[in-house]
Amino acid sequence: MNVLEVKSLTKQFGTKTVLRDISFTIPSQCIFGFLGQNGAGKTTTMKLILGLLQANSGEIFVCGEPVVYGNTKTNRWIGYLPDVPEFYSYMTPREYLSLCGEITGLAKDEIRSRCDELLELVGLSKENRRIGGFSRGMKQRLGIAQALLNNPKLLICDEPTSALDPVGRKEILDVLLKAKEKTAILFSTHILTDVEQICDQVAILHEGELVLNGSLEDLKKQHAKNQIRLVFKEEHQACQLQSLLVTDARIKEVHQQDTTLNVEVNDLEEDGRYLLKVILESGVPIYQFEVLEPTLEALFMEVIA
Amino acid sequence: MRAYLAFIKKEGLELIRTYKLLLMFLIFFAFGVMSPLMAKLMPDLMSQLALEGIEISLPEPSAIDCYAQFFKNLTQMGLLVIVLMFSGMLTQELGKGTLVHLVTKGLPKSTILLAKYTVASLSWTACLLLAFSVTYGYTVYLFSGDEIFHLFYSVSVLWLFGLFLLAVSSFFQTIVKSQATQLILVAFCIGGLFLLKLFPKMEEYNPLTLVTDNVAMLDKAYDLTSLTIPIFMTIGLTIVLLLGSLLAFFKKQL
Repeated sequence: MNVLEVKSLTKQFGTKTVLRDISFTIPSQCIFGFLGQNGAGKTTTMKLILGLLQANSGEIFVCGEPVVYGNTKTNRWIGYLPDVPEFYSYMTPREYLSLCGEITGLAKDEIRSRCDELLELVGLSKENRRIGGFSRGMKQRLGIAQALLNNPKLLICDEPTSALDPVGRKEILDVLLKAKEKTAILFSTHILTDVEQICDQVAILHEGELVLNGSLEDLKKQHAKNQIRLVFKEEHQACQLQSLLVTDARIKEVHQQDTTLNVEVNDLEEDGRYLLKVILESGVPIYQFEVLEPTLEALFMEVIA
Repeated sequence: MRAYLAFIKKEGLELIRTYKLLLMFLIFFAFGVMSPLMAKLMPDLMSQLALEGIEISLPEPSAIDCYAQFFKNLTQMGLLVIVLMFSGMLTQELGKGTLVHLVTKGLPKSTILLAKYTVASLSWTACLLLAFSVTYGYTVYLFSGDEIFHLFYSVSVLWLFGLFLLAVSSFFQTIVKSQATQLILVAFCIGGLFLLKLFPKMEEYNPLTLVTDNVAMLDKAYDLTSLTIPIFMTIGLTIVLLLGSLLAFFKKQL
């Protein structure tokens, strides 16, 4: 079952079209990586799903219910973590979660047990300080706790790891992986390695259009280039081999950068063997021969180029 | 209703932990103490200031002087303190983005606005009661023989004007982003009411009457029925401003 369905969504701010006819779905228990450059329209999409902005056209369904601007009831299914979560600095984490629980309409006993459970999950169970004294990472973890308070079917995270150090990032990714067992997650980020680590599906938004959408493996298979990297000790050696390969009909493209050649071929196995033969026959000594695995970064750069 | 009460509790906690409530209580307590004391001590102070050859003679202070001082303090400084204290109740939260979590948890915008207005009104009520109780107690103690008329009525219309002023502030907070701009607009609004007083025909509709005639109201001969229209105008405008605030806040994107 799809937790989120976005159909032909368009949003304009004045004369500027920020989102143009985008459609995607997120099934349950899936981490959906939502990628795009700054200003691509990621935050706008999330705010539209939350009913905080009004769409110009298109429809959004959360758990089968339509999202309505202003006061949407579908938010009871959603947990939201903004990029910079802001809290009341004079409250303790437990007081803040209790306030959220009361607003959500949870029973008093449930609020107490959920607070214990979630503060434990995000590693803040022993923090009795006021939130004003928290680090950014601690605030981010508290943000996840508040977002998960109502057992959401959909968790929306807007760049939750972008301002954190490596330890803080790992903590957040671990929490999201745990949360995935019970909820679908829309995970917006700039950090492509985070997406490769935890996401099941990926969509890339570019200038308001969804240019890619699918499972990471399928996308890599479909869009990634077959590349072999050749590294030489001296730059003139790289130049020498490049002059040989550039006229070879079996080689698609050759790019030289200092002592490195990136060679694009049609078939990694057959053409790779052929390439080795050409190098041996040329007598140019090679330092490194590496088949490049398709990466999300390469894919991202290719589609937004 | 539960969300409304939870948000009121949060607003109360904010007032206590940011020491705003303590500060307001101290200021209004000072107003309460100062009013009778100033009335009592003023003749002595003035006589000490008398220069050689000049004799200053002041009438014996009375309870009326205490209340004149009280209404002067409250209608000027008291209302200013309340407006300043609550001038950021919405603009600050909108600027910081602290409401986003709660709205996405299902907290209606109308609940936020009404809870904030309720807490501001309750604070104004408590502060006014504190200042008035202190002034009243001291005045009874210092000037026990004096007879005062319509005192509670006069304080009540001042209270009503405070509620109106908070509604004006709420309204502007929903339509502008900056706290400073909002304060300027409130000041313009009050200035506009003062300008209206220049037109005698508008006098009987002007809410400002509720805070300019308070001492005159203490006279036995004062015709209280002359305040009926300003009172209804003030109540009506307060309701209209609150409804306008709700509408503007609903349309505001977080």
